[in-house]
Parts: sequence; C-alpha cells; structure tokens
Amino acid sequence: MLSHPVYIERATASFQSAENGFVFAEPDYKVWIKNANMRRRMSRMVRMGVATGMECLDGITEPIDAILTATGYGCLTDTEIFMNSFLDTDEQQPSPSSFIQSTFNTIGAQLAILTDNHQYNNTYVHRGFSFESALADAISLLAEGDARKVLAGATDEMTPTLNTLLGRMGNWKHYAPGEGAAFFLLSSTPPEQTPAIIIQDIEMITGDYTKEELQHLADNFIAKHGIQTAKFISPDSYKCFCGEYPTSTSFALWMACKAPELFKTGLPIVICNSFLKNHSFILLRSTL
Amino acid sequence: MTALKQELKEALIDTLHLEDITPEEIEDAAPLFGDEGLGLDSIDALEIILILERNYGIRIEKPSEGKEIFYSIQTLADYISEHRKK
Repeated sequence: MLSHPVYIERATASFQSAENGFVFAEPDYKVWIKNANMRRRMSRMVRMGVATGMECLDGITEPIDAILTATGYGCLTDTEIFMNSFLDTDEQQPSPSSFIQSTFNTIGAQLAILTDNHQYNNTYVHRGFSFESALADAISLLAEGDARKVLAGATDEMTPTLNTLLGRMGNWKHYAPGEGAAFFLLSSTPPEQTPAIIIQDIEMITGDYTKEELQHLADNFIAKHGIQTAKFISPDSYKCFCGEYPTSTSFALWMACKAPELFKTGLPIVICNSFLKNHSFILLRSTL
Repeated sequence: MTALKQELKEALIDTLHLEDITPEEIEDAAPLFGDEGLGLDSIDALEIILILERNYGIRIEKPSEGKEIFYSIQTLADYISEHRKK
C-alpha cells in the first residue's frame, strides 16, 4: 500500500481515439527520432517505444530521475533476425546490429541517449507483470523520495512467427493478438492540469483462478484501502481495443487517462488483468 | 562491374536499412563513412564485413586495409572483383 500519492502527469501511447473507442496508431517516427542513423537501426517495436517515450517527455524541462521500461516479449523482430542469422550462416556470421537491438533494455537505453539522461534506468521483463513491475518500481522511487519525476512505460510487438506459435498454443481463444506502447510521466507532486489521476496501489498474483475467485481477490484488494465499491475495468473492456499482449495494462492505464468520464461516478477504478497465470490489479482515483 | 556496384548498393540499403535512399542516389565514388557521404559508422562496417564474407567469400585479413577498401562503392567493387571466391 502506498504511503504517498503518485500522480500521472502525462500519458502517451501508440493508440488514438476513434469513433468506437481506440485504435492502434503508430507515432510519426521522424518527428520523435530525428537522427536518421539511429532510426534506421531500430526495429518497429524499438521505434514505437522510443517515439512514444519521447512524445511523453516533449517539452518537459524538469529533470527526469528515472527511466523504467517494460516488455513481456522483448524485441522480437531483431531477436528473430539474429537467431535466423545464426541458423543461416551455421553460427559463423551473426548480425551485430540485430544483436544490439534485440536486447530487452534497448528502448530504455535509446531514450536515455536521446534525452542525455544519466539517471537510474531499468527494464522489467516479467511476463504479464512486466509493466506492473516497472510501475511498482516507479511508485517506490517516488513514494520514498528518491525521485520526483519518473518516465515509465511498456512496449510489446507481435510478429508473424509469434502470432503463429502462440496461436497454435491456443492463446488467442479469448482475445485477438495485440501490441502497443504506452508511456507515463509520473510525479510525486500534483500536476498543474486537473483532474489528476493518482495511482493508489498495485497487486500482482500468480496462479490458476476462476473469474469468481479473481473477483473475490479484487474485492479484498480494494477492502485493504477501506473501499467498499469500485469501478472494475475488466480485460474484456480494453483488450477489445488493444488485443492481448503481456503489457496490455499499460494501454488500459492510458485509456483511463484519456477517458476521464470513467471517474465521473466518483468511484475509484481498478484495472484488472489476467495474462496466462499472471493476474494484476491497479487501483486508481481521480482528484475530481 | 556496373552490375556488381548495383548489387552492392542494394545490399547496403537492405542490410543497413538506409531510409529514403535508392541505389541511384549512391554515387560510386562518394565516401561511405563520415559526414560527407552516407554517414555510415563502425557497426555498419561490421555489417559490410559480413556482406563480403557471406556473398563473396572474402575475409578481410588485415583490418588496417579496411579504411581503403570500404571508402566507397567503387573501392569495394574493385576489391571484390579482385578477391572474390564466389
């Protein structure tokens, strides 16, 4: 449970509002990654993450005390290129560029290089808890006074190979395959614009649970905060827009930031997620 | 030689993901590295070494020769013509 409120000052994503909700929309990469030499080496996922992160920091003059990124799958396109180059050349001539770009912390590192940021920089790769873990770290840094502003975000991409493999394993029974990037500028002080959204708590649970058991766990989660009733955002209500991927809660959080009407009832909001055996709850409230 | 230079330009564009550049826009004599030419760097040099090995069976034995060999499309094509094994 947090001892200090954490405010979402800004939220950006590779999605945009549409008539019936939200649709995937890649950022204009040339706007956010001006250096053509950097851009050409980046795969689509790296571009997507870096551009979304850069957009989140656009015009921010205060120092950023930490950059935290998350990915469940990693930079798959470059990983596939690198692994295929191993196979094709009998392990003799692997491609150096794809190796460099296939590492999980590529996006956080590129953001640090582009913004000349030498602060704490960490990447979380924890399956369905990747984004939640990055968020938990950001919240700890802010709550304990180790940081005043933190950039935290998540990126995952879908490749044809992964789509086929996970499809064979039956992963798309409930939701279509998805991908996306979302970044958040988090602050320990209230932002100028109101209403502000506050992240109150995060909980992560692993195991096989029925829907009823998960609802019971969610009720217990809000009860810890003395809350009797909350608006639960189920995976069904956001994965219809973003699809299924390990860090889809980053989209759900962005969606909550872009849809203030969700908070109109005055009830706190709980983003619920289940990715395989990883289940999470993110408790939000508004300063409305 | 003209076909080889075209092949090299296409390989560079493809392997190095050169954006918004066509083979016709790469001049044969223009420097590949540094600010004046294509602006390639040391990681690109590694990729070019792999192109030479993979496509032409050429291993650069003396790294000190690399600067001359990799200067332009023309110097690369000259070296490949002379040393290619496939």
